[in-house]
Parts: sequence; C-alpha cells; structure tokens
Amino acid sequence: MNPLFFSPPHSPGILASPTSFRLRMFEKSLTDLIQGLRANKRNESEYISKSLEEIQNESAAIDKLNYLHMLGYDMNWANFNVVEVMSSAKFSEKRAGYLAASQSFNQDTDVLMLATNLIRKDLASTNFMEIATAELAMDLFDDVLAILGHSRPYIRKKAIACLYKMTLKHPEGLHDFVPQLKERLDDPDPSVVSSAVSVICELAHTNPRNYLPLAPKLYHLLNSSNNNWMLIKIVKLFASLTPIEPRLAKKLHGPLSSLICTTTAMSLLYECINTAVVGDIISVPLPVTDSIGREIDFAELCAHKLEVFYDSSDHNLRYVGLVTLAELQVRRPDLVVNQYETILRCLDDPDMGIRMRALQVISGMATRRNLSQIVKRLMSQLILSNTIALKPGNTEGGPDEDELESTPLIDPSGVSLVSAKGSFTTPKKAASSSEPNAADNPEYRLAAVEAIIDMCSRQSYANMTNFEWYVAVLVDLVYIAGVDVGQLLSQRILDVTVRVRQVREYSVRMMRQLLSDVRLTDFVSGESPHAAVLSTAAYILGEYCTLVPASCDDIGLLLFPCLRQLTSDQQAAFVLAAMKVYTNWLQDVSGYWNDEVWELVRSTNTTTMDSITSLFLGQEGDDLDVVVAELPLQVEGLLRSFIEITKAVSVATSNMSASEPPVCRELHSLFTMYELNPVSAAAQGKVPVPDGLDLDSWIGDEIPDTSLRVLPPPPPPRQTRAPAQRNYASKDHKANRKDQPLGMLPDVDSIPVMQLDLGDLATARPKPRKSDKPKKKKKSKSSKRHKKPTPEPSPPMVPVDIVGDEDMPDIPTKPLNDTPAQQPGSISGDTDNAGAEQPASPPQQH
Amino acid sequence: MIRFILVQNRQGKTRLEKWYQTYTEQERLKLKAEVHRTVASRDQKHQSNFVEFHNHRVVYRRYAGLFFCFCIDTNDNELAYLEAIHLFVEVLDSYHGNVCELDLVFNFYRVYQVLDEMILAGEIQETSRSVILGRLDQLDKLE
Repeated sequence: MNPLFFSPPHSPGILASPTSFRLRMFEKSLTDLIQGLRANKRNESEYISKSLEEIQNESAAIDKLNYLHMLGYDMNWANFNVVEVMSSAKFSEKRAGYLAASQSFNQDTDVLMLATNLIRKDLASTNFMEIATAELAMDLFDDVLAILGHSRPYIRKKAIACLYKMTLKHPEGLHDFVPQLKERLDDPDPSVVSSAVSVICELAHTNPRNYLPLAPKLYHLLNSSNNNWMLIKIVKLFASLTPIEPRLAKKLHGPLSSLICTTTAMSLLYECINTAVVGDIISVPLPVTDSIGREIDFAELCAHKLEVFYDSSDHNLRYVGLVTLAELQVRRPDLVVNQYETILRCLDDPDMGIRMRALQVISGMATRRNLSQIVKRLMSQLILSNTIALKPGNTEGGPDEDELESTPLIDPSGVSLVSAKGSFTTPKKAASSSEPNAADNPEYRLAAVEAIIDMCSRQSYANMTNFEWYVAVLVDLVYIAGVDVGQLLSQRILDVTVRVRQVREYSVRMMRQLLSDVRLTDFVSGESPHAAVLSTAAYILGEYCTLVPASCDDIGLLLFPCLRQLTSDQQAAFVLAAMKVYTNWLQDVSGYWNDEVWELVRSTNTTTMDSITSLFLGQEGDDLDVVVAELPLQVEGLLRSFIEITKAVSVATSNMSASEPPVCRELHSLFTMYELNPVSAAAQGKVPVPDGLDLDSWIGDEIPDTSLRVLPPPPPPRQTRAPAQRNYASKDHKANRKDQPLGMLPDVDSIPVMQLDLGDLATARPKPRKSDKPKKKKKSKSSKRHKKPTPEPSPPMVPVDIVGDEDMPDIPTKPLNDTPAQQPGSISGDTDNAGAEQPASPPQQH
Repeated sequence: MIRFILVQNRQGKTRLEKWYQTYTEQERLKLKAEVHRTVASRDQKHQSNFVEFHNHRVVYRRYAGLFFCFCIDTNDNELAYLEAIHLFVEVLDSYHGNVCELDLVFNFYRVYQVLDEMILAGEIQETSRSVILGRLDQLDKLE
C-alpha cells in the first residue's frame, strides 16, 4: 500500500484526462477555486462570498458548488440549476448534476418532483451509464420512489443496480421484487449473485421467514463459492434463518465446521463462529473432526478457535473475539469459565471497547470462589487513577489540590482500603504516565462499580460468603468510585444491612466511621454524591443503634454543621436518626445513674439543644413557630418532637435526683418498642380490599378543581393491585408535594371526615407521613405490627440469615386489634410511632 | 449495512462524505464532528479500529493523514468492512496512481464515482478490483 504523500497542486492526472473543452474550462475554474481557497486561508469567508457571486452567474458551475457544499456552505439556492444540469444531454455534466443532487437533496427539497420525472426518463433510457447515475440519487428519494416502483422491473441491464434500489424501504415494491431477486440468484454473473445475496441478507434480518425457501439454493452457494465476501454474507444470512428453522442447524453444521477448520481469512472465520454461536448451531451434538483428525465437540471447536481471537495481540481481533465470547457465555458458560486468566488480562487493555466487553464477560463468570479476586482486581483499577476523584477532565499527573476550585472529593490514592485486610497486593502502576489510563474514563468507572455490585448481589447474594467484606467493599467504593454512584451505593448498603441480620452491627460501625470522616461531611451539599450515602449512613446508625454501645458523640456526628445544605429528605433522616440515637443513649446511661451521669445528661442535653438551635433556628431565643415556616415539612415535624424531647429531659433533670428520671429511661421506647421488619414490596397489593369499599371515590364532597390547586388531584383509577400508587417514594407523589406551596396548606378542619368501615384491616393512610424515610420501600408503611415468619433457610455454607423477597410476608399475619396496647403517646406532636396508630372504626365485618 | 462513509483528515476537514441514510444538515454536521473527535484521539498501536458510536459502530482506518470511517450496524462483521476500506483505498490508488490527499481534494467527483461503483445503498456491491477498474475506464472514455 503506497503511503499517501503530498504532491504538487497541478498533478498530471487532471489535465491529462480526456475531457471536453468546455469541461476542461470549468475544471480549471474548479481547480482555481480550490487553489484560491487554499491560498486564502485567512480571508476564507471573503473569498467564498466572492466566488458565490461568480457562481450565480455561471450556469455550469455545479462542481464548484459541490465542493463548497462539502466545506459546509449551503447551496440550496441552486437546486433548480442542479436539476437543469441533470437533464443535459452530456453525460459528464449529467453526472455532475446527479452527484450534486445526491449530496444535497433531501426529502424536503422542492424540486424533487422535477427530479423524479427526470430520473424516470433516464431509467427508461438505453444508455446504461445513465442508469448508473440515476442510482446515485436514489438513496434520498425515499417516498418518491414508490411511484417509480413499477417502472423498475423492466430494467434488466444493470441488474445489480436495480436490486439495490429495491432494498430501500419499499414494502409494496418488495412483493414484486422478491421473486425476481430469487431468480437473480441463478444468474451466471457472480457479482449479480453476490449482490443478490447481500440484499437478501439485509431483508432477512427483518423478516427471515420469507426467505426460508431460498435456503437450499443458498446452501448450494455456500458449498460452491470461493468468494469470501459472498460467503460472509451467506453465513450471516443463515444466522438469521436458523432460529426459525432448527433443522437448518443440523445441515449447516457440516459446511460450517469445514469452513472453520480450513479458512485462512479471519473475517470469514469470525463470521462462521459468530453464526455458530448466535444461531445456536453449537447446540447440535454431532461431533466434528478437527484439523488433526480428532473428533471433538463442535462447540468446543468454536471456543478453541475463538481463543485465537481474544488472545491475540491485535486489538481488532481481541475486540471481536470478546464480543462473540460474551454471546457464547450466555449459551455455554462452561466453555468460557476456564478462560478466566485471559479475560482478566483483557481488563487492563487501553482500548475502552475491549475493557467494557471484558468486564461484561468477567462479571458473568463470577462464582463464589473467584468473586473476591475479581472485585479486588476491579477496585485496584479504580484506585490507580488517582486524579479522577478530583476535578474531572484532569489528565493524570498527581492531584494538584491548590489548583482546583471545585469541591474537593477524596483522593483515592491516599485511602487504604478497608476491604484489603492484608491480603491485598499493591497494584502495579500504569506502565508510563503518558499512556492514557482507561480508568480515567467515567463511563468505565461507572460500569466497573455496577459490575462489582451486580456480581455480589446476584440472585440474592448467592455468591457472597462474607457479608462484612461486602459492606467494606461498598464503603470503599464510596471513597474511590470517582463517579456519581452515591445513590446506588447507598441503596446497596441499605439493602444488605436490612436483609442480613448478622452484618448489621458491623454495618453500624462502618456507618459511624463514614459519618465521622470530615472529608465527606465538611463540604457536602444536597447534590453532592456523598449526600445520599451519608443520609443512609445516618438512617442505619439510628435504626440499629441498639446493636452497638451507645455513645453521646454520635449525636454530635449526626447534627453536623453542614446539615442544612442537604435536601429536606436527607435532613429529616438525620434528625430522626439523632432522635433515636439520643433516646437510646439516654436509656443506656440511665442504667447506672449517679451524680456524674446526671451532669453528663444535663450537659449533653444542653449541647443538643444548642446544636438544634444553631442549625435550624438561627439566633438564640427564636421561637420555633416563628422560624418554622421556612423549614421543609418533614424536618419541621421531627424537629418539634426533638425539641419537646430535649425540653422534657431538661425539666426532668433540673433537680438532682437519686434515681434516674423515668423520662430518660422510657424515651427510647418511642423507637424500639417493636421491631419493624421488612415487608415485600408487593405486600400492599395483596391486601384484599373489603367489599363495598371503593378507594377511588371521593371521601366527602368532591372538591372543585379550581385553578388554585389546594389539594393534589385524585389518584388515577387503579389498574393493578400494585402498591405503586401508595408508594410514597413514587415520583408523582413527591412531585405533588413539591407543587404544593407551603403557604397554601389546606385548612384541615374543612375537609369532611368520613368513617371508614375497614373490617379487620387498617389500610395505609393517604396522608403522607412526614417521618417516614421516603425512599425505603421495604419498611412497612401500614400501621400493622406483625412478627416476621420463620426466616428463610440460609444459603448453603453460609450461616447468614438473608431476607429474600420471596419470603417477605405478602399478607399481614395479624390484624391490628391483636397488637398490644398503643404507644404512650403522651409526647405531643407527630412522632413516628404515636401518630401511626390510627384506630379505625371498630372492626365490622361486611 | 453502511450508514455513512466519511473521509476526514487529521484536522477534521471532511474530504469525502456519503450518506446512506437520511440525516438533516445539522445532524450531518454533528455526526461529522463527533466522528472526528472519537476517531482522531485514538491510539493506533494500542486500540482497535472499531469504536462504539451511538447504537452503531464506526470502523476506521488511518492512511497517512486521512481517516476512512465507515459507520455500520452492530451486527455487521467489522473485519469484513475493514477489508472493504482497504479495497477502496487500493482501488483509488490504482485509479489515480499513487493517490494522495490532494488528489482527493481536486478530483472529488471522481472519488465519488469510484465509491459508487463499489458501494451502493449501503451494501458492498462489487469486490473485484479488476471489474471496478474496467468499468471506471469505460466511464472515462465517455467523457
């Protein structure tokens, strides 16, 4: 292949070609134009506007226009001229016109009608060259071609061209076309045959059934032809046909295997293997004799040959090999599993496409044994790129924190992995810093994080042997991920903590560690990726604080200075968690009451009150009611409760007493009286609605839909029993709440209340519960308390109790009336539990 | 099937464009810029010639200062199209005799001729070099 090199402007080719005088004249001008353009690089626009003027006066300057069009200048004003030129008798001019047309016309061009007629005329002509140019313009006139459809079958001379025109999206034309296409397969001219094959291949992609009868002919061609291009097309065609005709697979087995063994062309080999895999021919159990005469399984043969691809040093081959390997893995995972090492190496490839494919294959290969190894490998890749967590778009070369103005996130290279636990070997640095480190690509990082999570949590954690390690991995990912996966990670942490009892204690400790990390909490805001993780951490800390020794520092952790920067949901989570932790600590400390403890309680109480005040109320002495209107709704309710709690404690401890005040001892039972167990998301939908209850009708008088929307519109009629409409985490519900400006809260008393006869069941209240963490779907939202049924038998070899979806109770086992006495609802305000018991009317069976 | 063919130089100037699907002018401009961005930044030695691009693939090959890019469907055989690019360049070379970038610039309409002989409506039409060159000779004689 001769390298392209610079040649002088007047290359001999142009002037030497035999052109007519006229054409030569305007070719010269074309050349001049081009030359002039290149010479005037600075005054390009001037020059071009000048030349455009000149062109307007010239009649046959189509080529120049074409050139300018290529450079990006509009030439639509010349459309009519173009058509004129197209109609000229001189072939070369005609061709120039057609070229211009094909370049710049599209469906909306006005002169299309003219052009259509022109093309029709040309097609009917005897000069086959004219037909050739007609095809140039064909591609664009999609709709218009339908008119020409019937004139086409008469054209036989340049059969190839005809066939291609037909492929263009004309279902009506296809009826006439297909029988002729089939005839063309028998054409003596090989190029006609191959083009027919190509066309059929394309068509069969969308509608394979029509072309099944052609299979015998195609089979014959497959065996008899030497043309590699055609063979590739035929093989691909068969890939579309075999899914609908399984007997084909058996027949193809023979020729395909011989092709695979004998061909030297990589592209053909690849196509054969791809077809064998995708078309399911590997499932044919007939053995095959390979190149040295052994009999092996066809599938193994394919896998063996495929190895050549992804093990090669040529990146192209690697890429296509991995693509097919991913397909093979879906169908025959056993064949892929022993390629583990090779694929791991592919993970380090600088080519992003190869990496992504390798990632896909690897995550399919994860088993109990190699899971931790794979995860470690992936995480070491994420760490290596030590600049990604800082300002994105930075090239590698060390973190320069002084230069960065954006929010400083964590520098992952400085983090020691919690999950490392000593068995971690320091990853090798990238060979040279000038190589683009593919781990810098945020798309890849995201894919890697998702792959890690997917591998670990597949099939309800079937691969997991050590949940504490998994929690540690998730926490590490918070630090090193570098992309915005905060939401994903927080959900995963929550998932594993809630469902796996044994790991809760460890999880709480880790969450405490997260919250005490100032690098995360100092600059966080509602949108920062860490906010979601932190609020989940707060929730877990609050919910399971009973599992770890209580500490009054936790309260300080939760009411940290930047709390107000978070979104209202997250703030609510923190405030609620702070309440839980506080009451738990109080109860814990009440166990050994003495003077010092009394002092401690008083001081902690004061500190807590001060924190609340400084965070939410602005100045000292502000009355809550004054400021409350600015607080988000969820936070307001919780805050009131918290302030009441602290006031109660300060009243109770105002005088030194010998024994602990009962308030301190009992407050914790606000939150810990019952254990709330996770409920399946589908549970609500399975609650049978009693007869006679129409949940979609208005409770009282229908409120007219005025322009001032005071209440959210009624929910749409239920199609399924899914709890989605009751799901307070759903987007519409949140949106509704957001739409309601705070100042327009309805006057609660004016809404008529109707007694609901609900029988044994109390369905969930329609009023949004402010204290619920909105995104938790698994927590029971109904007011039922019930004991969880016997836990699911643990997965083999892992003595861990995971709550799987299928074992979460779908139907509540105990009706409301059987639960013990209601909470001491003496504390005013809407606390979490006190508000929950809404006794409906006495149960009445319908 | 091929969706479009672009020949661009290293600075991003398009020397040849052929669209086998309807795109508006703005879309075309955007696509050209995107293809250039994606292809020009790739490292020949360490990366493959196939790039995932929207829902398709771009198969490209670099010859001196020019990138020849074919945008194909995902189910197409990339290796075959790589060969097709090479065939196209070889035909251009034989036709022009030691072709260079400036030849493409000054004789762009001839280049389109060659292209149309080889590829029509997104499919490879003719793969025999001798047949193509023979036909081109015939066309030349007509002029």
